[in-house]
Amino acid sequence: MKRVYVPLALLIVLILFPLVVTDAYYQHLMILVLLWVAIGSGWNLISGYTGQVLFGAAAFFGVGAYTAALLLSKLDVSAWWGLPLGGLVAVLIAFPFGWICFRLRGPYFALATLALNEIFRHIATIWESLTEGMVGILVMQTFISKIPYYYIALALAAGSVIMIDVVTRSRLGYYFVSIREDQDAAESMGINTVYYKMISLCLSACVIGLAGALYTNYMGFIDPKVVFSLHDISIMAILVGIVGGVSTVYGPAMGAFIMVAIQEVFRSGGFGLLVKLGKATGWPVMATVTKYVSEAHVLSFGLLVIFVILYLPNGVVGDWSTLRKTLLFWKRETA
Amino acid sequence: MKRAALLVVGALAISLICLGISMAADPIKVGVVLPLTGEQAKFGEIEKNSFLMCLEEINKAGGIKGRPIELLIEDDTGKPDVGRSAVEKLISQDKVVVLSGGYSSSVTYAMCAVAQQRKIPFLVTTGSADKITEQGWDYVFRLNPPVSEYPQALESFMKEVAKTQSVAILHENTLFGQSGSKEFAALCETAGVKVLMKEGYEAGAVDFKPLLVKVKAAKPDMVYMISYIMDAALLMRQSKELEFNPKLFVGGGAGFTLPEFAKNAGDAADDVFSADLWSPKVPYPGAQEYFDNYGKKFGSPTEYHGAEAYASMQVLADVLKRAKDLTPAGVREAMLVTDMKTVFGPVKFIAYGKKKQQNQLPTYLVQWQKGTLETVWPKSVATKPYVYPILPWAEKKK
Amino acid sequence: MEVFLQTLVAGILKGGLYALIGIGMTLIMGVMGIINLAHGQMMMVAMYITYVFFHYIGLDPYATLLISMPSLFLLGVFIQMFLLNPLMKVESILPENQVLMTVGIGMVLTEIARFIFTSNYLSVKTSYSTAAIHIGGISFSVALMIAFIFACSLTVGLFVFLIKTDLGRSIRAVSQDGEAAEIMGINAEQIKIVTMGLGAALVAAAGSLLLPIYYLFPDIGGPFTRKAFVITILGGLGSTVGAIFGGVALGLAEAFGATYIGMDFEDMIGLILFLLVLIFIPGGFKRLTKV
Repeated sequence: MKRVYVPLALLIVLILFPLVVTDAYYQHLMILVLLWVAIGSGWNLISGYTGQVLFGAAAFFGVGAYTAALLLSKLDVSAWWGLPLGGLVAVLIAFPFGWICFRLRGPYFALATLALNEIFRHIATIWESLTEGMVGILVMQTFISKIPYYYIALALAAGSVIMIDVVTRSRLGYYFVSIREDQDAAESMGINTVYYKMISLCLSACVIGLAGALYTNYMGFIDPKVVFSLHDISIMAILVGIVGGVSTVYGPAMGAFIMVAIQEVFRSGGFGLLVKLGKATGWPVMATVTKYVSEAHVLSFGLLVIFVILYLPNGVVGDWSTLRKTLLFWKRETA
Repeated sequence: MKRAALLVVGALAISLICLGISMAADPIKVGVVLPLTGEQAKFGEIEKNSFLMCLEEINKAGGIKGRPIELLIEDDTGKPDVGRSAVEKLISQDKVVVLSGGYSSSVTYAMCAVAQQRKIPFLVTTGSADKITEQGWDYVFRLNPPVSEYPQALESFMKEVAKTQSVAILHENTLFGQSGSKEFAALCETAGVKVLMKEGYEAGAVDFKPLLVKVKAAKPDMVYMISYIMDAALLMRQSKELEFNPKLFVGGGAGFTLPEFAKNAGDAADDVFSADLWSPKVPYPGAQEYFDNYGKKFGSPTEYHGAEAYASMQVLADVLKRAKDLTPAGVREAMLVTDMKTVFGPVKFIAYGKKKQQNQLPTYLVQWQKGTLETVWPKSVATKPYVYPILPWAEKKK
Repeated sequence: MEVFLQTLVAGILKGGLYALIGIGMTLIMGVMGIINLAHGQMMMVAMYITYVFFHYIGLDPYATLLISMPSLFLLGVFIQMFLLNPLMKVESILPENQVLMTVGIGMVLTEIARFIFTSNYLSVKTSYSTAAIHIGGISFSVALMIAFIFACSLTVGLFVFLIKTDLGRSIRAVSQDGEAAEIMGINAEQIKIVTMGLGAALVAAAGSLLLPIYYLFPDIGGPFTRKAFVITILGGLGSTVGAIFGGVALGLAEAFGATYIGMDFEDMIGLILFLLVLIFIPGGFKRLTKV
């Protein structure tokens, strides 16, 4: 029963959130978190459950984003149609890619997705007549209030988490995991590995593509460097996945929250607290400290990855019991 | 028990600090968003320093009607979604009356959209995509000229002095390079100059020789390059290596005018022309002074991005002084009728073409002569006569 | 004709440099079966070491090889001992944890460099930075020729080392079958440590040789990491001779692509070549030449 009640309670809290917290700044941060929940869940299905590590999530994200933007700029159709279509186009890209590249195993598949990511970025940059190149495409935001975007993002995030939950508890999920654990054994058991890997990849691509289309609608401006970014999208997706917990349903949600929070806390110097502290104490050293802290957010990402892989290889959610025990132990020690 | 005590003490300390802040003089809050970390941090830093330098002078002179200005500088890390976080925070938590900054165009656009929606005036410092002021937004003002207007001075030079017949255009694949090269190609077309080739490249390439060989074989009168500092330096160094001798090497602003270009290109930088918006020698009040003071204060030279930031702060101070009431709407009213001189040139927000609330600035042609950047065109403001045609590499060595 | 020849020369010379970047990667990938996604970032560290010695002591970048290579050897050893080897004992779901770890290492190296040196562009200017020899209208960059010669001699040296010495044989044994090698009494963990050190030292050589003709800033690593794995896949894992082939092939493909298709496509050509080789000749040139 706990399996249903806790997520349900969380969902209700999330539904009420924008009604209680009316500050646009926190609403914006939560929209980012929800967007990353969707991307992280998509990444988790193909990488965590099926074991085919995706290093190029941005390829699907960018394709979804550009689908939405091009609908408006070329066909004069509302960019909101990009939401269903963005997912579809991402699947259309994933399909031939999977067909060709599923013969590659382990790190080689990962590298191929990375190459796909880069190739798409170059195409979007060079094909100026279609994509405007680095000049980028503008989409006017439909709503001034953040609330509609928030609920769409929430629907997408909740939908992708539920999708993962349903899929992984179905027969499909067992096939996926068996492919991850031992592909040859799965093959010899009569599982058509290419077929099931394809299903997994297409579902992932669809979710990530949807997130991309939502990004276009919400942010209102895209260029190749932003939506096909290896660092800010593809690697961030991996970080969200492994920090939260590979191959767990709620891992990406936790990971998304942690990553966005870390980024914002460092960027704003602990929400401006350090600056206030500096002013109040008048210590000149505080200015330097503030500067270094705000510069350290990427460094903190890197250190976090190293720490998580070494000590929490299954992420915060996957290793929750270990983590809790350690914390409890520590508490008892200090008390 | 110990920990509980610690918590209480901590909470007390924080509330005391907050109290201390609220008791200080009531400053006018201005939000500035710049890339302070990530790849663009270098220029974000120069702009931040320039903003603060100007702020110090303003506050020393008594601030605005006795109230000091407080700059709340936020980092956008070069990402649009983060830039947006910063602006949302400045508007809804810090309650700033006016916003400024904006370095890369994608981030600037995302921020301006928020400012427009929330009706907070935004003075764009650097983001140069033409589209930013073409949206009909009435709360967005831009100090710097859009990227399409950089080569104006070059056009008259080509017509009156160089009598250029053919050009080859090389550009980096960035917003600046792609839209700049397109505008320049169109400009050549109307002026009857043949465009022999127009080719982009990914910034950060190691070897430009294959590209340069091709350009060399096409024998253009002039090579127009839109590149960033290090690509620019490599392009010139490798042109020298290949002994490629067109009549004219021209840079499209950006990388070609910065001191690091000359430092890295060495003697390969000599005689290279560039379109330019600003140099310390432009005939604007305070420009040279700003340049000297910056160097003295921070120990490294500033450049046109810094001047844009300094000028933005000058405009902001002027606007806040004139504003009837210090609300966003009041500041916007005052901003509309701005007419002043800054270190970056005269500032006036006007509508022309598709653009609205855009500042128009003259551009210059500069040339590297023995390691220093001299303004050579238009003649009325030239600091040195231009060197044209330039000597082939082989003869320069002597 | 001149265009063709000059493109050929440029491609081959750049290929030599690429080979040097690829050799270290191929060794690491061959022995450990992991992709080192911090490879370019290690090169960046070596370049900063080179820069510091040039700038403050005036040491020639080529002389700095004697410092940068051992320092990076130590860095590689450290990374393998404390960050990668322990992972083999950690229970985890994804076997690619080691690859993800190198991503984290790459980020940390880049950001540490940014803390120390800021994002400024740095370069060293030497007498040979822009020097070139002209033969019949074709220019040969001196610095790139030196890098090419270095790449060839390092490859030969490494080749001999792997074939003739005990340590080299052990490395090859681990790369062919780690478990079997362990049964035969080879300490695979130590061999991996040495290999990582060697790989790092080799890319350090590439960094020191590249700096005089290029420039330096903290984010420079990423693109070179990508080039390194392309070269490795082209040449074949663990094959030192293959790395030369892979490097020159990539150099030529980029150069001819830039001349005859467009400089726009320079990077894309490498990536497409990479995908094609990965799919149609898995094993790269190594499989064709059996070296």
